[in-house]
Formats: sequence, structure tokens, C-alpha cells
Amino acid sequence: MSPLSKNRVLMVTDSLQMGGAEQVAVDLANTLDRSSYDVRFCATRGGGPLTEGLHDDVELMVLGRRATWDIPKLLEFVRFVRGNRVDIVHTHGRGTMRFVALARALGLIDVRHVFHDHFGWLHLDREASTALRVPLQRWTDFYIGVDSRLCRWAVDTAGLPPERVRLIRSGVQLDRFADAQPADLRAEFDLEPADLAVLMVANFRPQKDHPTLFRALAELSPEHQRQIRIVICGSTTADRLYYDGCVGMIERLGIGHLVRIAGPRDDVPSLIAGADAAVLSSKNETGPLVLLEYMARARPFVATDTGEIAHAVRDKGVGILVEPRDHLAMADALTDLVEMSAAEREAMGARGQAVVEELFDERVVVNQVEAVYRGVLDGGDR
Amino acid sequence: MNPSDRLPRRRLPRASVPLSVALCTYNGERWIGQLLRSIAEQTRPPDELVIQDDGSDDETIRIIEDFTNGAPFEVRLAQNATRLGSTANFAVALERSRGQFIALSDQDDIWYPTKLERLVGELELDPTVTMVLSDADLIDEDGRRLNRRLWDSRMVARTLRRNAVVSERLLARRALTTGCTMVIRRRALAAALPFPAALKDPVAPMRHDRWISLIAAAVGTVRAVPEPLLAFRVHQSQETGVLTGAQASLSFGRAVVDATTVRLSEDDRGHLIRALQLDSAAQRADEVGDFEEAATLRSVANHLRHRSRGSDPTPRRLKAIWSEAKQGGYGWDQLGVAAAAGDAVRALRHPGRATT
Repeated sequence: MSPLSKNRVLMVTDSLQMGGAEQVAVDLANTLDRSSYDVRFCATRGGGPLTEGLHDDVELMVLGRRATWDIPKLLEFVRFVRGNRVDIVHTHGRGTMRFVALARALGLIDVRHVFHDHFGWLHLDREASTALRVPLQRWTDFYIGVDSRLCRWAVDTAGLPPERVRLIRSGVQLDRFADAQPADLRAEFDLEPADLAVLMVANFRPQKDHPTLFRALAELSPEHQRQIRIVICGSTTADRLYYDGCVGMIERLGIGHLVRIAGPRDDVPSLIAGADAAVLSSKNETGPLVLLEYMARARPFVATDTGEIAHAVRDKGVGILVEPRDHLAMADALTDLVEMSAAEREAMGARGQAVVEELFDERVVVNQVEAVYRGVLDGGDR
Repeated sequence: MNPSDRLPRRRLPRASVPLSVALCTYNGERWIGQLLRSIAEQTRPPDELVIQDDGSDDETIRIIEDFTNGAPFEVRLAQNATRLGSTANFAVALERSRGQFIALSDQDDIWYPTKLERLVGELELDPTVTMVLSDADLIDEDGRRLNRRLWDSRMVARTLRRNAVVSERLLARRALTTGCTMVIRRRALAAALPFPAALKDPVAPMRHDRWISLIAAAVGTVRAVPEPLLAFRVHQSQETGVLTGAQASLSFGRAVVDATTVRLSEDDRGHLIRALQLDSAAQRADEVGDFEEAATLRSVANHLRHRSRGSDPTPRRLKAIWSEAKQGGYGWDQLGVAAAAGDAVRALRHPGRATT
């Protein structure tokens, strides 16, 4: 394919803050085959730490949209799309999808629109409002769901034809983790050499359900409590009520000596590499991408059994999975993790790394996404 | 808040069986045989049937014992030494239940064969769901169909059909659920037990099913399934308020009259008691880390406290009502509009004492 026939793809997210959907968008933007695609990136609301992760050849526009229907910003977006002669707009997140759908509905842009759905609150969303159904049906060409439940929702509830819907599990850029220098968690967070340093990468948002982890820690025997320390990495300002509640809970449960809050960090791969193990207590996820990141660096983990990734690795012995919100089960799992020998934990991590290389390498995902692009570009009717 | 509600709560043991049915009985000889047979015929039978009898002096115990001999699951019967009443009796039955999922049962209904399979299926599908409830067909004392549904007769059908996920805010504002239609997850039960003392206040008692629903919504997700999965018997001696035909219109009229004529002091106290109950629910949600839901319950409790200030001078009351309405404290549905209108009428009819 000659350079002239390259297709222009615009990846669109709300922001470039740390988050599963944003990470997927950045990874895709970096990995799409450059012999076939020129890639631009638009963060419609604001930038964030993931900006650093975008390759230099990906032109970035931060729009600064303040509301869902910010008309001046919509017009600015339209100018960018037209000016760059974009062929495919690939949106991540439902608000972003509706923003782009509006531009198409008004006839302001003539592009193919691929929507990548990462929505994590499926349990509250068995209906599809008109505000979602109409833009999906009329102004979106293809629906990618990161979870099979999302794909079922798209067909059964949102009314999309099955041929316009595809499950593509999120993937991970393996080299980001393989090459990361391990951070010295013990020095940075004042941990003893013998402590089992367990990392949780999760912004302080209700969906991540830190309280179940805290309650589980409070359930551990004093002996097991002595051996484990949790380092939590993630935004503390995303939901202030929730964060303050978590801090109060740590104090109330008397587990302050077990928990270190690292706050938001842009060196997550190094933190993972520096941890002995990892944990995730989410109540509801469609990914969760961070499990892939734990596995990519061969970290054994305890996690709640929610989302497509947990589902896919459930029987592969790569981590200990427990029912979401069950703090007693999580306490049992953490106990098992503490009681495992270092060699057993290493073996578990190695199994995870092998699984992620086989099933979740970003290149596998990119191949699937490029197949979707080819399909929508070849398709006649919108 | 009652001082006893501040004490550390006794912990509910872990589940040791998958599915329990918690049944409360009291002088139910007339219909309990039919109920027990319908539970035995479930396509997904329970692993145990926990029966708490509240001192029956009719044939109820004998019928249960006859059933126990051939029952396809374990039947665990216990009798109270003194009569507790429905809500406290359910608290005991639920404490004794060992299931991961627990279905509540009244003594006079007939369950359709797929009731447990359907409701437990919803709970198994999504671990964040803490309670599922269904609709029911109404039958009369002789088992004849009344061609009416439970949700319609309790005037909650519109709300529950529109809200497949029933929020804690909805449940805080209104009793929407009926125990015998519910299956709960043990995690929600652990948060709901023991029932706080404020539930028993005679001015504004809260039944066990409303309390459990409120907690289930505060610590997880409550789902409403619009299918009728049991036949709900309507009779004179039942405690659940079910209205049929003309009764419903009469009751609505009575409610409108009450709303505008009830003595202010009673009304104020009712709001305060409800606010205390919601505070207790918020505390339970906080304990398990559902901070947003706890905040929602506290905001409804604060709204009720605003409504309880009936002795304020009329202009101040009207201003407060207007302010609460604008902020959405009453909600924007029919119920909210009626409550705001009722408060305004009361403020005008009962001018409060001017304060210095």
C-alpha cells in the first residue's frame, strides 16, 4: 500500500487521565500499522498523564470541552476532522460517542464512526435510553465491546444488528512492562524487607471498591497482617466523598499500618515491577485492563471475578479470583497469597505472563481492530 | 439513634448452604399446606426451609411436622416462647438461615414452580445484585384469581416497571416491596441484621421487608422482575397492605384527607422517626463502604427533618417547602408533588407559633 492510500484514523477519548479506556485508546493509537494508517488523537475534555505515552508521530488535539453539548468545541472538532481529512473516527466512552454522533447527525462531518464501549456499570444499565440508542443505531457504523455482556446489550437492548457488533478484549503493550525498571517500593513506602508488598492500581472511585479490600485486611489474622503491606496507586481526587470515606474506613478498621496510599502515578509499570504481588477489589468491571498489566510483569494477584479478562483467565491458575464484594473470601485469598512460598508466587506470575502473551498481546487486538476498520471502509451503507 | 444501634453488631456466620427459604408462621393452618407443597415443587428447590413459628395454637405445627417427614430438603422448625410479631419474627428466622441466598416466605401464598429458579438466577448472574423481587398474581381466600397483580394493587407498578434497578432513594421515600416476592443475598442480610430499634416505633413503624430492601439497595443493587412468580392471597388477617378495586380508590381518598388534616405533631414525629430509620440505614451502608448511597439516605433523612418543622410560622414553612421542592427534596414524581402540596396545605391550615 502506498503512503497516499493510507487511511486517517482519529482516536477520540474524553481525556488522557489514567484509566482503562484511555489506556486502550493510547495503545491502539501507538500500535496501528503505520503503513496503512495515519493516526491522530483528540481528548475532547482535557489532557493527562497518558499524554506522555503517546508516540511522537501521533498528532494530539486537546479540545477543552466543558459540557456534553459544547457547540463551539464541537465546531472546533469538526474543523479538525475536516482539516485532517479523517476517514475513521474511533471513539472511546459513551459521552464521546454521542459528541461525535451529533456532529454526524448535523451533517458536519462525513466519516466512518467506530465506537469502542468500555462501560463498567452494566448492572445498572439493562435498558438503553433513546439518547444512547438513536446515536448508536444511526450515527455509528460499528460497535466494539470489551466485554461479552456489553455486546449482548448492544444487540438485545440497543438494537444493533449483530454484524455491526464485535467483542474485542482489551490487550496490553507487553514491552511497556517487560522493559520497566522496578521501583523500590520498600524504600519509598517504608516497608520492611520481609513484607509482602502488594500493589493495587485503582483510582479512588466507587467501582474499584477499596472498602472490600480494607475489610478483608481487617479480617486477616495478626500473623498474616504482620506479613503483608498494600500500596494503592491511583487518583485520590476523582471522587472526594469516596476517598474521604475510604480514609475514614482505614482509620476505623485500625489498618492504617497495613496500607500506603501512593496517589496518582505515571510510573505504573515500574511500580508493578517493584511489587511482590498485586490485588484488585473492583465490584464491577468490563476489563479490567490492570489485570493484564499485572500478568504482563508476571505478578501473582488476588482479584475479584468480574469482567471479560477475569472470565478469560478464570481456570488458568494465574491468580486467585473471588466473588466481588465478598470481603471474607478476599481475606481468605490474601491469606493464601501470604502463605504461598516465593517460588509458588513466581510460578503463578509466570503462568499469567504466558497467558497474556498468548491471548492479550496488543498486536492481537490491533489486528482485530484493523479488520473492523477494513470492514467499515469497504461497507457501502451507513 | 437508639444507643443499642451504636454497639458493634454481631456478625452473621458465613453461608453454609446455597439457598434458604425463611418462613414465618402464626395460626396459618388454613393455607400453609398449599404453600409448603408449592415450595417442594420448585424447579430449583431450596437447601433448607427455616420456619419460625410465632406461637401458633392451631394445627400449623402438626401440618409442618407432617410435611417435614417427606420433604425433599431439610426443614428446621423453631417456635418462639412468646409472641414477637411479624417483623421481629422474621429477624429471628433470617438469623437462623444459612443460605448464600435467602427467599422470604409468608404462610398463605402459593409459589409458582419457577419462582426460586428465576429469582436466584438473577442473583447468580451478577454478584453486585443483592436483592431481586417479582410481581405476584392476587388470589382470594379460596384460591380464585382476582385478575389483578400485587404491584398494581399496592400502586407501585409504574415505579417498579420503570425502574428495573430500584435505587435506595426510591426505597427511602416509599415502601415498594413485599417480603414474599423477595430473594436476598447473604451480604445484604448481614448488613441488615439486627434490625434497629427505630423500626419498632409505633408512630412510624418500618416493616422488615422495607428495611431489608433499603439496606439491599444501599449496599448493592436491587432488581425488580415484572413477572408474577407467585399467587399472593388477599384476606382479612394479613399484614401487607393490599388494595383491590374500590378499596384502592377509597384508600387514596383517605390518604389525601389524612395528608391535609392529620395533626401536625403526629406528622412531625412520623417524619423524625423515618429520618432516624434512614440514618440507621446510612450507617450500615457506611460500614461496608457504600459512602455515596449513605449520603443519599442521609439527604432523604434531612429532607424529612425539614418536613418535620411544622411548628414554624406559616411564611417560614412555605418558604422552606418551596426551597425543598426546588432542590428536588420531594422528588419530581406524583408522590413528591402530592407531598409538597400536602405540606403546603398543612402549613396554611395550622399557622405555627411565631418565634421571637
